[in-house]
Amino acid sequence: MTQFTERAGTASEASLLASRLERIGRQRDREAFRELFDRFAPRIRAFLASRGVAPAVADDLTQEVMLTIWRRAESYDRSKAAASTWIFTIARNRHIDHYRKNQRARALDEDDPQLQPDPAPAADRLVEQSQDAGRVARALSELPADQRDIIELAFSRGWSHSEIAENLALPLGTVKSRIRLAMARLKMSLGEWS
Amino acid sequence: MSQRGHTLDDSWYLDYATGALAEEAYRTLLASHVELSGEARERVAALERVGAALLQSAEAAPGTLGFDAETIMARDDSADRGSEPQEAIDRAKHPASDDLPFPSALQEFLDRRRQSVRWGYLGPGLRKAILWRGETGERLWLLRAQPGMSIPHHGHKGAELTLVLKGSFWDADQQYRPGDVEEAYPGVEHDIRIDSDGECICLALTEGRLRFENPLLQAFQLFTGL
Repeated sequence: MTQFTERAGTASEASLLASRLERIGRQRDREAFRELFDRFAPRIRAFLASRGVAPAVADDLTQEVMLTIWRRAESYDRSKAAASTWIFTIARNRHIDHYRKNQRARALDEDDPQLQPDPAPAADRLVEQSQDAGRVARALSELPADQRDIIELAFSRGWSHSEIAENLALPLGTVKSRIRLAMARLKMSLGEWS
Repeated sequence: MSQRGHTLDDSWYLDYATGALAEEAYRTLLASHVELSGEARERVAALERVGAALLQSAEAAPGTLGFDAETIMARDDSADRGSEPQEAIDRAKHPASDDLPFPSALQEFLDRRRQSVRWGYLGPGLRKAILWRGETGERLWLLRAQPGMSIPHHGHKGAELTLVLKGSFWDADQQYRPGDVEEAYPGVEHDIRIDSDGECICLALTEGRLRFENPLLQAFQLFTGL
């Protein structure tokens, strides 16, 4: 019963976000963009900050991500990905571009304790999130803590699996096997991927 | 360790989906694999959903943003958008070389670098084209092999990912078809045999130099740059 209600909410919220993107793409709908902006811009900024991006840079990158959403909404296809997933990949790709430009500078900053990001969000807090995020967050929260931590650190800090091994002082093989176990469990609890 | 399968270890998909794997050559190989392999596509799509969920759970920092939706739309209105059509023009100038079956991620990599594929001799029935060299000796390269050819017994000093773009090859009793990736690590030795049905083209990323057992081939390596 609860499941059904949640799923209905999930589907309608996801489809609302998708419709907003489509309205921006087809009609350059400014109101739809304002709504998407309010929902995503502060979160994109926080997401970049958690990856150790300096505040002023996070502002610039967030603007660029939002500008890309405004300009490229036309190419969004709801049959391929949820709106939130499409937006996540834009933010991720923008962060990659930035990282490439600053590869050397970043290496120098890594040990500066002032630049250490905030802790990763706890999965149990995510359960309250609406739409697809809710289902995914629930699946994450059901993972054993040692597997969940790795997946969360990978996304929130942007660490590679070998950086995670280094930072958590774990053997590389242990990190790899936890990733494998986590993905197998996520696949089970999310059913069909995508 | 080696995963004898047709997909990569999950840690690769995670690093790709989070963006931690930022190097252009690595992303190009992974993106090409994702384009061609349904299984790889599913794994990455699932991880990107996880990323979207975590993005939405990110706690907005205290204090308001220094800009709003109007700022963005105004920036767009005033910007001359000349840079975007340019990409399409460049694309037209650099069509896929010889109608090769390149995934769009690989074609875009070549387009961005204004690079065409130059094939060189690698051995009888084997040609190679180096696309990129990294600072620590890694390289992204294409292998083009005639049907039935063998690549002599060799080991690796570093990891090597080999993605089949066209045709197929065998390593021992495993066949690799378009979209499949073979992941080799230091200490893994293999004998590659190209399937006799047709030409095989692979995109490979090699981290350390190959180690051939045969001293003649070791000398030959100096020529080929592998």
